[in-house]
Amino acid sequence: MTLKVTRPGLYTTVQDLGRFGHQSEGFSPAGAMDYRALMLANQLLGNEENAPGIEMTFKGATFEVVKDTVVATAGADMKMKIDDDHHPAGVPVHVAKGSTIEFGAAENGSRTYLVVPGGFKVETVLGSASTHVRSGIGGYKGRPFQVGDLLHAGAAGSATPYRIKDFDDGDGMVRVIPGQQFDRFDDDMKQQFFSASYALTKDCDRMGFRLDGPELVATPGHDVLSEPTQLGSIQVPKGGRPIVLLNDRQTAGGYARIGTVAHVDIPKLVQKQPGDMVKFIEITVEEASTLHRDEMERIRNGGYLEINNAFRSHGRPVARKVARIMKR
Amino acid sequence: MEIRQFAENALTIYLGDEIDERINRQLVALRHRIDEMEIEGIGEVVLSYTSLIIYFDIFKTDVDALKAAVDQIDETALLEAEVSYRVIEIPVCYGGEYGPDIDSFEENGLSADEVVELHANKEYLVYMLGFMPGFPYLGGLDERLHKARLETPRVRIPPGSVGIGGKQTGMYPFESPGGWHLLGRTPVPLFDENREETILYEAGDRIIYRPIDASEYKEIASRIEAGDYEIQFEVKGGS
Repeated sequence: MTLKVTRPGLYTTVQDLGRFGHQSEGFSPAGAMDYRALMLANQLLGNEENAPGIEMTFKGATFEVVKDTVVATAGADMKMKIDDDHHPAGVPVHVAKGSTIEFGAAENGSRTYLVVPGGFKVETVLGSASTHVRSGIGGYKGRPFQVGDLLHAGAAGSATPYRIKDFDDGDGMVRVIPGQQFDRFDDDMKQQFFSASYALTKDCDRMGFRLDGPELVATPGHDVLSEPTQLGSIQVPKGGRPIVLLNDRQTAGGYARIGTVAHVDIPKLVQKQPGDMVKFIEITVEEASTLHRDEMERIRNGGYLEINNAFRSHGRPVARKVARIMKR
Repeated sequence: MEIRQFAENALTIYLGDEIDERINRQLVALRHRIDEMEIEGIGEVVLSYTSLIIYFDIFKTDVDALKAAVDQIDETALLEAEVSYRVIEIPVCYGGEYGPDIDSFEENGLSADEVVELHANKEYLVYMLGFMPGFPYLGGLDERLHKARLETPRVRIPPGSVGIGGKQTGMYPFESPGGWHLLGRTPVPLFDENREETILYEAGDRIIYRPIDASEYKEIASRIEAGDYEIQFEVKGGS
């Protein structure tokens, strides 16, 4: 046993990169909403990119360290505190038995990922550790964390000498591939969709983000025969407010789809908070594919990492002292 | 045949624009053809009423080659292809506490017995799965059983419930809210993560509901518990 949940946070689950190969049976892929953040956190510990991590949403959890280990975080900054010391996001840190790791409210994003060496050990369902709460499968007992849950690291391990570079994903520009029912929207509607700003409403969760903005009307109607959904499908039901379908989406949907969010911009979108504005930019599927390939290569080839000059170790007096001296 | 792409890693093939058994047969045959082609990087193929989606690995699959290969498939030949399917028998205890809405069909001039008569012992085609894991979109419901959904949806429908919503019949593998009229319940788990076939059927298969009484329901439930119940199915079609 490695970590014990002492406060579960708002919505905390175990996620890997998703459960694929079973959408034809109706299983949502689930998986880390910000796939890039999970991959980067895993890189900091030398894990496989798909190793299961913890996804925290808006407000983080608190853990008691039951066994010495090393942790890494990525994604939104939840002001991680180990005992009373603040630690920046994106930097691996050793934690000693008896310490408390505390996460607060998310800043510069909404989702934070926490990983341990080898990933968190949970039973896989249909080949994935991802939690899908609606069907109660995967992750930790198929549900969000509760007080007292006990988590195990998959392996003993140590940190790499890297940290995640600062990068700015703050703009609200989200690139979109024209969707299945793009032509149900006339030219004025298309122009509006690609020029107006849409706001994230409070109804934004792992299933999808409901947006608010100028009404989008599909003159031939908004209902279509149910068709498989994709990550980032933007469906427009009657009423004209778009919904972006995300990881826990239903695998089939029957509303007109104006577009699909390009994979490369999913991490940026899912880190937005309710009230944030987004603007959609049209790109072709060929452009989106090139961007996606380039981005995956950038992630995998260390494009987001830099050498960590101030490797931190918590709970080791000497290292702590060194860290304090370096801070001055 | 219309080949379109709406996502980096997926190709959509449309074979029509309405719910039609013939289109389903073509799609099932097309899925087999794609499986046989053994194109590198193909992940999974997902069927819906009028189309199928091929998911692929953007680092392994040449999408233009995939498009060209699919484009060469003869649509009419798909209709003639002999494709086997399974008929899966689902035992259902109609009425009573399991089917609290069966009597409401009296509004439509049907007694509970007549509802069972019209609903059970006939093959329903599984067009696709979705909404929740293992939820089948079935075709073939008798028109006399069409019934608008409940005005106030139930907060909780128990897993295994069999019901009717509008022109569709189907069943709930998981507990869920919903506005369907509940006719009965099956003791057979429609999702079982420890079973070799987690979900019992796929698009193109057929479902047949066999009426059982409350004591058979309990008997089957305890046999399932003990692990000595075998789900009945028959393979049809093909050559």
